[in-house]
Amino acid sequence: MMKDKKFRFNLNFVNTNRSYFFLALILFCGLFMKNFYTAYNVCAVTGNGSLVIWLGLGFTICLIAGHMDLTVMYMSTLSALLCLGLHTLNGIPWGLSILVATLAGTLTGFINGLLVTKFKIHSFIVTLGMQFVLKGLMYIYTGGAELSIGRDYALNEALNARLGFLPFSLYFVITTAAIFLVMVVLRYTRLGRNICMVGGNLETAWLAGIKSNLVTTLTFMISSTACALGGALNGIYSGSASITMGEKGISPLMIALTASIIGGTSIYGGKGSVVWTWIALVAIAFLKSLCKKTELQVLVIAAILILCIFYETLAQYRKNKVVGTRPNLHLEYLEETGKKA
Amino acid sequence: MSEKLNTAGHEPEKTDERRTEISKFSLLFNRLGIYVVVILLILLGMAVSKGQFFTAGNVQSILEAVALIGMVSAGLIFVVYAGNMNDMSIPMTMALGGMMTVQCINFGFPVALLVGIATGTVIGLINGFMIGKLRANPIIWTWGFNLLLSGIARVTWGGKQLYADSIAKDTDFAQKSASAFYSIARTYIGSFISLMAIVMIVMFAISWFIHSRTAFGQKLKIIGTSYDVARFSGIDCTKTLVLAYTICSVCASIGGIFFAALRKTASYENGTGYDFSCLTAVLLGGVLLSGGKGSVVGAFGGVLAYGILNNILSWVGLDTYSKYLVQGIVFLFIVWLNTYSNRKLGKA
Repeated sequence: MMKDKKFRFNLNFVNTNRSYFFLALILFCGLFMKNFYTAYNVCAVTGNGSLVIWLGLGFTICLIAGHMDLTVMYMSTLSALLCLGLHTLNGIPWGLSILVATLAGTLTGFINGLLVTKFKIHSFIVTLGMQFVLKGLMYIYTGGAELSIGRDYALNEALNARLGFLPFSLYFVITTAAIFLVMVVLRYTRLGRNICMVGGNLETAWLAGIKSNLVTTLTFMISSTACALGGALNGIYSGSASITMGEKGISPLMIALTASIIGGTSIYGGKGSVVWTWIALVAIAFLKSLCKKTELQVLVIAAILILCIFYETLAQYRKNKVVGTRPNLHLEYLEETGKKA
Repeated sequence: MSEKLNTAGHEPEKTDERRTEISKFSLLFNRLGIYVVVILLILLGMAVSKGQFFTAGNVQSILEAVALIGMVSAGLIFVVYAGNMNDMSIPMTMALGGMMTVQCINFGFPVALLVGIATGTVIGLINGFMIGKLRANPIIWTWGFNLLLSGIARVTWGGKQLYADSIAKDTDFAQKSASAFYSIARTYIGSFISLMAIVMIVMFAISWFIHSRTAFGQKLKIIGTSYDVARFSGIDCTKTLVLAYTICSVCASIGGIFFAALRKTASYENGTGYDFSCLTAVLLGGVLLSGGKGSVVGAFGGVLAYGILNNILSWVGLDTYSKYLVQGIVFLFIVWLNTYSNRKLGKA
């Protein structure tokens, strides 16, 4: 018995660190590709994947609080359009237009939070409806046209430039900094701990004296603000923004969900880390450059997602099966009666 | 002493009266509200379209626009009613139903139809097993499964669109079945009632019968109200939920077959957006999002209201994109009203 236990393959360890294993697997496969580990490729891949990292950040923080935020994708697109539109059409300087776009995100998050907390509608349904409101607003603002950065390339080049000896662009570094900032907030501040607790059990959190409505609203605001900031920066980074930004291939929202779940964020809320999502998203960005065919990307990402959901569901099912029972009752009896050696 | 007790007993009754007053309105909204909305919308449509609302062409276009949503909603109501919010795998179920039918068109039209419906059945069984047996999160599982099905469809057919007449072989039989496939969406009975509308009404009638006249419907009501209560009162929740998801997916695949016939193409993008619009229609009809309340008759009214609303929006002259804004706001308002009346009825 004892020998068996020592050499048992620890599935739990693999499961908790699955995002690291995923990244390692992708990077290992990259060894066999031509021009995979060049500085140019790494810089381009991480830069292009940055938008989804912002979305994943927003989605994960909402999932930790026990809610789903489906507006992330349209929020970032709207803010990219707003940012570029304000600068090129109205001649407002970059700083101010980024600020306005970000504030639009904050406002959307506030409305989402208000609808969830005060009007008591399920977050999934609220954000599903808001998605269409944002889509309509986008079309009304642009009339379906594509907005470009115009002739002002200074900030675009600054975001695209490689940072010193690192093979990363400035945009990716800003994204990473935001991820670690949110990680610190989630782990070491009162607000962050409250978000985790509200996600774990809303009623307990409320009874413990946490202002759960305020915390939920703040979560939605953080999520939407992050997405809006990321979208505005992405519009400048890529030089243009259109309504169908990122709708080619897989929907970025789907990637954000996949990365959150691969990263180990619990679908029941209350557990998870932004850094794990970040690692999973970087892995997915590399996976995209690994296999160029969209069809295959969709299949691989979906298969991994389904595998993770299936594993979690099965674990929960097994756990629920033994709730309230005492599986080792026989051993307990032997121990109490002293018959066990 | 007894008088005192009597007077003391009267006071809580007064507060009870107030409660029933509020809940009567909410009950009325839940029961009949949607048909009032339908009549109001028809009146509005008559005003907006300057008397051209009831022309044959307009009624036909409303029924055609409504028919597909109605077919899918007739099944979706069971999933919403059981308290599982939404079946996000509806788009790919529709797409795959159409694609499999087109792919098998060489074996004759009835066989192809059966293959399409069988595809939906298999998808429903898998969904039902995962959600009914293993208790997966209904939204996340069906959403992820939708992505997986989309990946499988894209890899299998290489992301191409399928055309029935180019897949059918040169034999007379195959060509005939291909033209039969196209004709199902273009058959008219009388002057302006299409076959699709009749299929939709028949499906609603069947789903009304299942919902209100069988033991399955009653079990589903208890499951939707409270899963634990249903489990402890000896209902086989797994079997019931599997059946609910299977019905939903079968209806979605039938809708997908008609969609493919109407558009003359079958591709993986066929059902995009139908999960949202069907949920809107079902919720408009007064089915509660948290499950356990609502009726098929109401859902039919919801489907009609959705179609008429879209028709009015195009009479007003809104383009497709501004429609998104109006639809989103209407959706949020309806869901709020739904939740509000629900809370006033004393159900959290």
